[in-house]
Amino acid sequence: MNQHHLTSAYHVEILPPKQETEKLYEDLDRFAQKYKRVMESGYCACITDNAMGNLAFQGTEMIEELHLPALENQVMIHLNTFHTKDDLHRILDACRNSGIRQLLVITGDGSDRLPRLTPSDVGADGVEAVTSVELLRYIDRAYPGDFDLGVAFNPYEPEDHEFAKLDRKIAAGASFAITQPVIERHPVVDRLLAEYPDFPVVVEAWMSKKLSLLSEAVGYEIPQDAAYDPIENLKTLHRNYPRCEVYLSILGFKTQYDLLQHVRN
Amino acid sequence: MRIVVCVKQVPGTHDASIDPETKRIIREGIKVVINPFDTYAIEAAVQIKEQIGGEVIALSMGPSRAVTVLREGITVGADRGILLSDRAFGGSDTWATSYALARAIQKIGDVDLVICGKQAIDGDTAQVGPGIAAHLHWPQATYVMEVGEIDGASVTTKRMHEDGWDLCSLRLPAVLTVVKDINQPRVPTLKGRLAAEEQQIPIWKAEDIGADPELIGLHGSPTRVVKTNPPAGRGKKSVVLDGTVQQNVRALVHEMRQRSLI
Repeated sequence: MNQHHLTSAYHVEILPPKQETEKLYEDLDRFAQKYKRVMESGYCACITDNAMGNLAFQGTEMIEELHLPALENQVMIHLNTFHTKDDLHRILDACRNSGIRQLLVITGDGSDRLPRLTPSDVGADGVEAVTSVELLRYIDRAYPGDFDLGVAFNPYEPEDHEFAKLDRKIAAGASFAITQPVIERHPVVDRLLAEYPDFPVVVEAWMSKKLSLLSEAVGYEIPQDAAYDPIENLKTLHRNYPRCEVYLSILGFKTQYDLLQHVRN
Repeated sequence: MRIVVCVKQVPGTHDASIDPETKRIIREGIKVVINPFDTYAIEAAVQIKEQIGGEVIALSMGPSRAVTVLREGITVGADRGILLSDRAFGGSDTWATSYALARAIQKIGDVDLVICGKQAIDGDTAQVGPGIAAHLHWPQATYVMEVGEIDGASVTTKRMHEDGWDLCSLRLPAVLTVVKDINQPRVPTLKGRLAAEEQQIPIWKAEDIGADPELIGLHGSPTRVVKTNPPAGRGKKSVVLDGTVQQNVRALVHEMRQRSLI
């Protein structure tokens, strides 16, 4: 298992502007402001890769074109399998040249307008489609030692299947995992921490009040009846998983960001 | 080599409604996108330019907001864009539209190749590309799945049909319409988009291209649409796996992986 120790208190997800935006400059400015704020806070900016199959600009090109600083251990680039081989290398080279070490390697959602890596692209001729496992193995071999490779862990999937998949990901080069959003506590995450005590795990906190969106994101129905307070949930996650860092998805920069510094106290 | 790519802005929705009076799609207030087949046409043109040099010009006809599809073309490698926009073009059918586009291509001048998507997803007629060729009296190849050798004088193409493909050699200038199999359009970059945003897109009116008023708009349109219905929604498709257990599991896992379900 590759050794890796995460260092940022919070991993803050930031979505780059969508390709179809008609307010490009406004969206770029908003992205830059969020990114700089995360850098100034000492947190880690996690930039998604065509999240939910929506075409968006790449994190590395956002950093380059907007001349944003990529501070050490404060940037994580999501990378999925929906790229050409040339584009994949462009992204990886850009990360390496910018000093970005952390990658979250996922299979991804794809779209009709996105190409997909083929097995031969990543030297995985024995499989029918490239998943995060094949992509991890390829990056680990093609860029030895250059990156800390993270993977997704979904506690809502059938448990044994997910652990078997995690083992394959670790064997392929994964050095940390980020869970799907957890509400208060999840027994499968507890098992993960118990059985993989030396494997860094980042727990994802859902920062939107809308739990219905979370159901859509994880693909499983989550009970909607209870009132949901994201900040209270974040506090609970810190209590329940004190050794884990936390990944914040759909964080409200206007309403929630300033509260973060007080949450752990 | 000067290549013109014709692109169209189409409704980006499955919920398009039809005006009962005019029998035309109501385009106001709905999300619009570049016609997906046109992205393959742009990519084909840009690949030719990268191979032998030249210029790619994106050309569209539509309301002023159609400049966005031209900017999309510039984002992925077209050098410039031109929009035909004039009330006089309103109501044009495929014949009148192809006439206007042909006039614009003549005005651009020295064009060696015109490339269109095989059809637009709103009208589904596949007539505009061939219409341009007819108005210009240029040779054409439709349903092109591969562009082979090309130089200043001729182009070789594979033309797809139900039973395979035909190898066609056309003298230039010529018109091609392309299918999805021809390439994988590149993903737009921020650098390209920023460059496209900076470009001024000229807007040409009917008189700018010397169009005969009797040949554009409703006057110039021989087609009368008698009745139009929105398409029936696509229902869920069932697939029966009737191989051995091993084959079925393999096929199911493959399908689920293709859809990123596992």
